[in-house]
Amino acid sequence: MTVSGAVATVGVLALQGAFSEHIQLLRQAAECLRTQNTHHHHLNWTFIEVKTPAELVTCDALILPGGESTAISLVAERSGMLEPLRNFVKVLRKPTWGTCAGLILLAEAANRTKKGGQDLIGGLDVRVNRNHFGRQTESFQANLPLPFLGDSGVDQPFRCVFIRAPVVEKILPHRTGIQTEEACSNDTIVAPSKTPVDELAKEELNADVEVMAKISTRSPALKDNEEHDHPGKEDIIAVRQGNVFGTSFHPELTEDPRIHVWWLEEVVKAVEKRQQFELADRSK
Amino acid sequence: MATELPTTNGFSAQDGQTNFAVKAGLARMLKGGVIMDVVNAEQARIAEEAGAVAVMALERVPADIRAEGGVSRMSDPKMIKEIMDTVTIPVMAKARIGHFVECQILEALGVDYIDESEVLTPADAIHHVSKHVYKVPFVCGCRNLGEALRRISEGAAMIRTKGEAGTGDVVEAVRHTRTVASEISRAKGMSEAELRVYAKEIGAPFDLLRETAKLGRLPVVNFAAGGVATPADAALMMQLGCDGVFVGSGIFKSGDAAKRAKAIVQAVTHYNDAKVLVEVSMDLGEAMVGINTAGELKDSDRLAKRGW
Repeated sequence: MTVSGAVATVGVLALQGAFSEHIQLLRQAAECLRTQNTHHHHLNWTFIEVKTPAELVTCDALILPGGESTAISLVAERSGMLEPLRNFVKVLRKPTWGTCAGLILLAEAANRTKKGGQDLIGGLDVRVNRNHFGRQTESFQANLPLPFLGDSGVDQPFRCVFIRAPVVEKILPHRTGIQTEEACSNDTIVAPSKTPVDELAKEELNADVEVMAKISTRSPALKDNEEHDHPGKEDIIAVRQGNVFGTSFHPELTEDPRIHVWWLEEVVKAVEKRQQFELADRSK
Repeated sequence: MATELPTTNGFSAQDGQTNFAVKAGLARMLKGGVIMDVVNAEQARIAEEAGAVAVMALERVPADIRAEGGVSRMSDPKMIKEIMDTVTIPVMAKARIGHFVECQILEALGVDYIDESEVLTPADAIHHVSKHVYKVPFVCGCRNLGEALRRISEGAAMIRTKGEAGTGDVVEAVRHTRTVASEISRAKGMSEAELRVYAKEIGAPFDLLRETAKLGRLPVVNFAAGGVATPADAALMMQLGCDGVFVGSGIFKSGDAAKRAKAIVQAVTHYNDAKVLVEVSMDLGEAMVGINTAGELKDSDRLAKRGW
């Protein structure tokens, strides 16, 4: 149980992109949790913009917002943030959620990146196809059911906004070390491997990749899209593996806090699990 | 820090054919970033490697347009296409004010944003392009609140200051940003009746003015443009409340373009951290020469006066 008055800090990576939008939705989500009067309503949330390693270490959980993934990756590298981010996601395995550009950065493999590739953080054993749906003129919104939100997610579809969006093209087998097969194929880049800090982190790493949401390739929103012609009936647009969650669309461009509420609840569970693990570890 | 832009302002959830959420949404993804003017694929790659969030493809940077004179038009689509094929970041291109056929061509080409720009020679002395009907989003320049809101009502999904392009002098961009901010703060204190009069006075649609007064900021993403030449200029515009920065001639008219481009990108992210600004401002080589807009620029040479 979370101690009454305890504080959880959630950061939003603020190097570039739509970070203010996530902070607004997080505040709205925290308010929903407070009024729902569930067992963790005593938790006090702090939401901060994260630009430096010092700010990142104060966080219990992190969101990587939409933006330009190349710019975020380059600025992170030059600001000394890339390794601290990999440490946060892949060594400590703290709860992390990436939207659009954030999903690209959290993938272990990506293709159609800029010439010479780009640095990835990794954490999700998937291959992401950048700008899958094409350029801005092919960007779209679609009302989609999201079963992971429970009954409400099915009864009231979520307005998913896709802007030059990526998709998860392939779920990769879990590997010790980097994704070697992916690294061999041309035009695909991979993230470096990291060793999880302890048994609990290892458990998160070894979790299976769950497909959380898909869009039908026959969706009316895609019917005029010439670039979007490929075999298969569905594209994967949301995945989770242990502590890492990724969506190819932008919940931060709506006023619907349901996904943020769901994710904060997952953060609470992860924080509690970590507390119990450390308690047990100390009493050994 | 800039005033927050509510997550869905300016458009309802179901905005039908015009899809304004998707158009204004891309601009939100560019926030906190730098958009760089480039004239060929090679420069576009330098911009991408520097961490630009987008590039603006044009035939001549504003400094050269100024020096060479003549009529400036939309760039050769072949050159724009080459840039689109070379980089993975969004590619923007400029059309002349009021030239809706140049806009149709750029849309068919598949550019990610159109800048209906005063930097090119205007094609229409009275009308701007009606921008809502296009699938591709538009960015437009402004000197004051009335101009910004007129452009938004025509369909612009992003606004930038006009500044004075191709001069390397930031004073006009500062003037335009401060003018918009002070007009918004005036509007904030007004009753509905006063707002109606003010709307007439500044030539702005009343509904948009009321929304702006309520938000305390422009209802779409707002970048600085026109005269930004150094990391300090870029950070200045960010501290004044802009959401991001366009850099035109300032990069590729300077001594070491790649280094300056990177420095300006870092300065826009860490605009509030003077220590980072010290670091990135060091040893950048020569800045673009520049024209002092107060002393050396004739009124008739001012690009910002174009647009209505």
